[in-house]
Amino acid sequence: MLRRCYGTFTGGIDLPDQKSATLNRSITPAPRPSRLLVPLGPCGGPTAKPLVAPGQAVEAGQMLARAAGGDAMDVFAPLAGKVASLDAVAAVAGPYGFLANAAIELTDLGECPAPASPATHENWIDCPTDALMQQLRQGGLTTHRRPVEPLATWLNKAAATRCDVLIANAVEGQPYVTADHRLLTEHGADVVAGLVILARVLGITKVLLAVDYRRTGSYQSLAQAAHSWDVATIALPHKYPIGADAVLVHLLARRQVPPGGTATDVAAAVIDPASCCAVFRWIVYKQRATHRVVTVAGEQAGRHENFWTPLGYPCAELARRTAPSEAGAARAPSASVVEPIIHGGPMVGLRCHAMAVVTPATNALLAIDEAPQASPTTCIRCGWCTDHCPARLNVAILNDDFELSRVNHACRLRVAACVECGVCSYVCPARLPLTERVKQLKQAAARPLPVEGT
Amino acid sequence: MTTDRTTAQPAPPHAAAVPSYLISNAPFLHSLEPARTIYIVTQVAACGPLVAGLVFFGWRAAIVAALAIVSCAVVEKAYYRCTYTPALLGRSHAYLTGLLLALTLPPFVPWYVPILAAVFAIVVGKAIFGGVGHFLWQPALIGRLAVAVMFPATMNPTAWPVLAPNKLLVGDVRQSRPMENYRRWSAQPAPPGADAFALPRPTTILGGLTTGAEPAFSGLATKPENAPPNKGLALMRMPPLTDLFYGATPGGIGETCSIAIVLAAVYLIYRGYVKWQLPVAIVLSAAAVVAVAPIRLAGAGQEVRTVWLPLLAEGSDAGLTYVCYQLFSGELLLAAVFMATEMTSRPVTTGGQVIFGVGCGTVGALLKLYLQVPIPFYMGVLAMNTFTPAIDSFWRPRVLGQKRFRLPPPKIASRGSRIAD
Repeated sequence: MLRRCYGTFTGGIDLPDQKSATLNRSITPAPRPSRLLVPLGPCGGPTAKPLVAPGQAVEAGQMLARAAGGDAMDVFAPLAGKVASLDAVAAVAGPYGFLANAAIELTDLGECPAPASPATHENWIDCPTDALMQQLRQGGLTTHRRPVEPLATWLNKAAATRCDVLIANAVEGQPYVTADHRLLTEHGADVVAGLVILARVLGITKVLLAVDYRRTGSYQSLAQAAHSWDVATIALPHKYPIGADAVLVHLLARRQVPPGGTATDVAAAVIDPASCCAVFRWIVYKQRATHRVVTVAGEQAGRHENFWTPLGYPCAELARRTAPSEAGAARAPSASVVEPIIHGGPMVGLRCHAMAVVTPATNALLAIDEAPQASPTTCIRCGWCTDHCPARLNVAILNDDFELSRVNHACRLRVAACVECGVCSYVCPARLPLTERVKQLKQAAARPLPVEGT
Repeated sequence: MTTDRTTAQPAPPHAAAVPSYLISNAPFLHSLEPARTIYIVTQVAACGPLVAGLVFFGWRAAIVAALAIVSCAVVEKAYYRCTYTPALLGRSHAYLTGLLLALTLPPFVPWYVPILAAVFAIVVGKAIFGGVGHFLWQPALIGRLAVAVMFPATMNPTAWPVLAPNKLLVGDVRQSRPMENYRRWSAQPAPPGADAFALPRPTTILGGLTTGAEPAFSGLATKPENAPPNKGLALMRMPPLTDLFYGATPGGIGETCSIAIVLAAVYLIYRGYVKWQLPVAIVLSAAAVVAVAPIRLAGAGQEVRTVWLPLLAEGSDAGLTYVCYQLFSGELLLAAVFMATEMTSRPVTTGGQVIFGVGCGTVGALLKLYLQVPIPFYMGVLAMNTFTPAIDSFWRPRVLGQKRFRLPPPKIASRGSRIAD
């Protein structure tokens, strides 16, 4: 494993690791669900048009809905089962919270499979680039992190900005989450091959795979493949949020993402390993991306596993099956719409809605010990938020801006550069929800001004 | 993409149509370090200089400290009880203010001085601004300044006491006698019928170098040729530097023991509650001013020499000793470690703190050298506290991705509340 000195960045913090519970648990099939709510728009956007009727039996991998146009994507059945209804509602993780989405409910489901590697596979190496691109666009693939976007959109953006460096972001700096780590450990060669496919399609020769240096001992199979494909594997120090796109591009490509921009603005494409694996499985095995690895962990969880989970699996059910007390958890959905489960990592995740389902963005479902919510006190201007901000924002002043509603001032302080990592809230001794406030300022600043006179 | 809001793209149409269930309230993890811990740890650190003060100034120092701390807590409690506002963060900050106030007070003051200082510190310095997190000036210094103005003679007599070596901890500092031919503290027995020596403060002796119509000294450490025999050498009149290091010298309760203050500073920096840049900036800038600023020495007869750059004027040995005397006598270290680092009244960013520290050290050193105010570095800190909001808005670190040289931001039409709509 190559470990070059890429330096570090200003700010950030050493988080407790807390991954030991699931770090060495191999990927296992999820328990059989009572029902699946397959969202018709996994990106939270426009939905596809259903092709099936209620009562109809479907096979695993069968197309359930066809894209009507625009950003919509084809939807496929993850498991064999029976269509129960077409007008169910599922909550999918959007950029700032859960979004209601039309869904197809499947019941009478079969057992969840393990991630299979069939012996028959396509030869993609001799496949021309145009054909590969065509296959990728038709695959119904998405990126596998929040906010989810169709892979075709991601490819178009990367091609339009003529990216010359492709970075696979496998740092996974948040506590508890081990989904990407297990994927790299068990399917490392697949991930590297998927990354190479994306690089060839985009015509990029500089390909980097960034991992956490403490995990490098597990990635032996990956190192061999990376060496043969000329993918530079880079072990980065453990300092959260080194996996934030803007920070990663700053470190590895020496380019600074402009405030409010994305990595493609500086001609760097960033992808996650789950998407690379999905690309490989689609191109080589012709398997649709209907499953993903979900880490179920936390002190309150009874089982700690990395599940190979079909998309549309209700989050509450997956986590409740593993909760210690069946009775206490069963009461939760009726009592409130909020589950005591965290969707995603503990630093940037969302609190689960009762109707939340597993989407490509769901890398973890956590039932952690949350400290009783101490009421926020006043800011004593200790400056720790400012010291630890990876974007070097003066968060203490932004907090003043929030309290005084000074959005213009926040704009001048470049609030759009916030990477939403959550470090400021983490360190705040006054328990102020600083991340939340900065996010709201950022949204208010991005909102267009009303037209004069209206 | 751009930060210019007038060209920002509107949200896609479907985003408004889809109901958003929840705003995330990430992160779900928090470090276990509440604000009260900061104040309690600072109190622990401040106990070091306090204990040194109790050793060298006896039981009267303990009474002054207890009065200051208790009255700060009582005044804070009474204020919030009377105004029906909740006291934020408990009373830990009131205890800290009382403790810091006690460190700055002389040990021989009458009982009403710490009480009045506490009233000013809590009410004027802190409560009327809105309490913890909102005040502009360091509250303990407001109290110290108030009593220094109200009781100038009581607070700054010509001779200050320090207990004799055989009367430590139990002696009475008011039972003091002036000493003839005082050389060093450890060599002296207690004067008959008294517990303490009455001595001029080292700062007062050094003050003769820069002000006064008749310069008393003909040199720092070397006497010029044909200088009159009645003109002394400045450094010969000072107690040895070691006395200043371990605190056996007249001064405020917590001001004299440099070692205790430095240890407290190391502890606070290790805990991360103080950035090393701030105290270092204060001490270095004060040292720079002292090393360069002119002193006035008596020459032959009636003439007065103005000597610039005293660091090198009579060789670096004498110059360094002079600078060390200037730094370790008086309240510079206490101001740099405990007063200027009060979180609410110092700038937030590191760069801002360096600017602030250089201002504190420079202003304080100039006040000490040329105006002979009784508490120069405290006044320097208070003066720079005034500029803290200005420094905070002026000093902006370059945000990730911001261009190094940028055009001024575009003018944007002002609008009312932007969060609510």
